[in-house]
Amino acid sequence: MIALETRALVKSFGAIAVTQSVSLAFEAGSRTALIGPNGAGKTTYFNLLAGNLRPDSGAVLLEGRDVTKLDATSRARIGVSRSFQRNNLFPELTVRENLALACALRAGKTTRFWRPMRGLKDVAGEAAEVAAQVGLTDVLDTPARAMSYGSQRQLEVALALALKPRVLLLDEPTSGMSPQETALMRGLIGRLPRALTIVIIEHDMDIVLDFADHIVVLDYGKVLDQGAPAAIRASQVVRERYLGEGGARL
Amino acid sequence: MASGNLVRGLAGVALLAGALTGQRFAGFFAQELIAEAAILGIFTLSLDFLATCGLVSLGHAGLLGVGAYLFAGLTVLSGLPPAFALAAAIAGGALAAFVVGLFAIRAQGAFFIMVTLALAEMFYAFVFRNRAFNGADGMGGIPRLDLSRIGVDLNDPQAFSLAAICVCAAVWLLLELVCASPFGRALDAIRQNPHRVAALGGRVYLYRLAAFTSSGALAALAGALKVQHTNFLSPDLVSWFVSGDVLIATVIGGLGTLVGGPLGAAILVFLKDALSSNVGHWYLFLGAVFAFVALAMPRGVVGFLLAFFARRSPPAGNTGDAP
Repeated sequence: MIALETRALVKSFGAIAVTQSVSLAFEAGSRTALIGPNGAGKTTYFNLLAGNLRPDSGAVLLEGRDVTKLDATSRARIGVSRSFQRNNLFPELTVRENLALACALRAGKTTRFWRPMRGLKDVAGEAAEVAAQVGLTDVLDTPARAMSYGSQRQLEVALALALKPRVLLLDEPTSGMSPQETALMRGLIGRLPRALTIVIIEHDMDIVLDFADHIVVLDYGKVLDQGAPAAIRASQVVRERYLGEGGARL
Repeated sequence: MASGNLVRGLAGVALLAGALTGQRFAGFFAQELIAEAAILGIFTLSLDFLATCGLVSLGHAGLLGVGAYLFAGLTVLSGLPPAFALAAAIAGGALAAFVVGLFAIRAQGAFFIMVTLALAEMFYAFVFRNRAFNGADGMGGIPRLDLSRIGVDLNDPQAFSLAAICVCAAVWLLLELVCASPFGRALDAIRQNPHRVAALGGRVYLYRLAAFTSSGALAALAGALKVQHTNFLSPDLVSWFVSGDVLIATVIGGLGTLVGGPLGAAILVFLKDALSSNVGHWYLFLGAVFAFVALAMPRGVVGFLLAFFARRSPPAGNTGDAP
């Protein structure tokens, strides 16, 4: 079954065509890495998938349903969740409060205005579960802004996970991380449930080759090539156009 | 937040105790000041609740005015009972805020401030010329709520000031409960990071509209009490001076702390009175005092207290209320 699909997606900013007729299908439970040089249109394509941008033409389908006209909020409510390249947290809230808020939003409980938030035991339980999933149990009561950058990145992913999405979009989860933090994040995303459909933008080729079962190479807004990691590693076009001298590492 | 809530709670209890003690022993004139401060306190709570979701209005006098004019109109002009007029004023304030909010909330930051200011000034221009309400001359003879059934005569200054304190305290408690609820936590999250709330499936616009509507109801409540207090309706109630005063009082006390608003209201009312009766060019001195407070305590009096106690209390593992 195909979880998420784009058909002939086009997006331009003025004269610059950032996404040029991109048609891709993401199988349910697949783990796809989007790679490509800076300016290839990876984040724009992500924004089109998540609903942060409207395409000029083309369609986005979630499990066969046309969601092109739905905004990011609506898509989040029906199972498409994303993390951001730059930390996008609630800085004054603790890890527990950050996650409880996300869980309460997902469960539709944030319209309740009569009983205290702390009384929502099921939400608190879910928040603790998500924290455990990403290894933040020890800092549950630390405000987000007081945490290390690496922990903040973990919380960034955890907030997206707390929505219990069917499709998870991860925008450079390791950006700006130290090697130790990167290793931690690599373990974290490697342990995500297999049933989850994941699309990841990542520059670290070790992570990409280790994590993804499908790689899509974007270049100037077009799909340059796609396939299994081994095929991409062997692709002459990719070596020439994108990997360049870095291709030697593959 | 636990220790922060404790500090705010204690500040609220101390303020309430001070107000009740003052009210018990105050003479006629001080009763008037206490009632004025309590009503301004309700108005600050209305403004501060809106600030919970990151919106600051500079036209809140417009919503106060809706309550004042509805109450005065329904009692004096239509001869309806004050209790009904009070309920209608609150509902009218909510409705006005809802309608204004439908489009004003699409603007944010400075634009929201300008839109609210512009609309309040339009309302001011309207009531300034409106014949039915005597335009610029205003209108007297506005009755107070009749509580004789429970043996209270609100025309007695002491009874009225006590009632105003009680309403202010009740509104404060209500907002404390709402702010601790999932809805209130969502509003606070929207203040911190509206984009992430939207990405998590929260309809930021609707939450803000709900907050603005509630805020309008409370502002109108303050307006309806204000005209009962002075027995007089004047377009000056809707002027941007009033919007400025409520914002100053809230900022002095501590924006985003709830209890700070009524505290700032008390400071503003009593300082104004002390200065205006003893000093020439008193507004100049008032400005100097506020400039000093703003520099010394950028987060207001209650914000200052919160930071002070957060520094002193050990970083306990389960409170996590670090600065």
